[in-house]
Amino acid sequence: MVDTKCTRFTLALVAGWPAAQALAQSCAMCGSSFGPDDPVQRAFSWSILFLMAAPYTLFGTVAGWLFYVHRRAAGRRRAAVVELTWSRRQAPAGETGGQPT
Amino acid sequence: MRRRVAPLPPADSPPVSNTRLAMIVLITGESMLFAGLIGMYLVFRLAARTWPPPDQPRLPLGLTALNSAALLGSAFPLASALAAIRRGEGDRVARRVELTALLGALFLAVQGAEWARLVRHGLTLGSGTYGGSFYVLIGCHALHVLAAVVWLAVVAILARLGRFTRARHAALEMCSLYWYFVCGLWVVLFPLVYLY
Repeated sequence: MVDTKCTRFTLALVAGWPAAQALAQSCAMCGSSFGPDDPVQRAFSWSILFLMAAPYTLFGTVAGWLFYVHRRAAGRRRAAVVELTWSRRQAPAGETGGQPT
Repeated sequence: MRRRVAPLPPADSPPVSNTRLAMIVLITGESMLFAGLIGMYLVFRLAARTWPPPDQPRLPLGLTALNSAALLGSAFPLASALAAIRRGEGDRVARRVELTALLGALFLAVQGAEWARLVRHGLTLGSGTYGGSFYVLIGCHALHVLAAVVWLAVVAILARLGRFTRARHAALEMCSLYWYFVCGLWVVLFPLVYLY
């Protein structure tokens, strides 16, 4: 017995396949309005590439800098605490040399 | 032996102050605005077969290069003012900020004179994509320089009144950040519009 639901789905896939390929090529503006070596198409490509890269670059740089600043501050805080305990241990008896100045 | 230990920062103070964070957010937003404008310029520039169009006047390269040097050079007195206030030498700040504002105003004045000449030669906002993209992109930058010059003037007045100390000079620091952004932007815009 033939599964009618499955057959319909397969037929719909086969019918929709060329349309999906046509969609995947490009938008109507770039795909059909200009030739392969058209300067307008090249201009749009470079502009889209630039505008796509700009936010990632900007936010990546800011996020990287914030991460670096936080890591450095945490490291300095830890180092200061270690330095404080070390200098207290090294101070001779009767002197206040171990206190931070 | 007495060892010098750096003062421990308070545990609750953030590594980046709120004012600096706000300034970075503002500058990032402004950068995205200019990214959009540069994208617009790239479309017109790369799509054109000849650029600038044959019937349009050429942009004055030599004068603008000198003007760029004035704008970029203005960052040095501001950096020096910031270094002075961090050393606690508050009396040296006002004059350096005033010099920066003066160089910024000079940049704007030369730009204005250039534009007036270009308009007389027929390059207007409505004379095509060349004029339109040039005035929108460079005009947007000029507006930012104007805002920054006004801000510098306010900071210079505050410095004259002795409002900045080694511990409290956030207004000067934020103004410097914005001025560096405006100068850095010109480093991108000048080669793109005048040389490319």
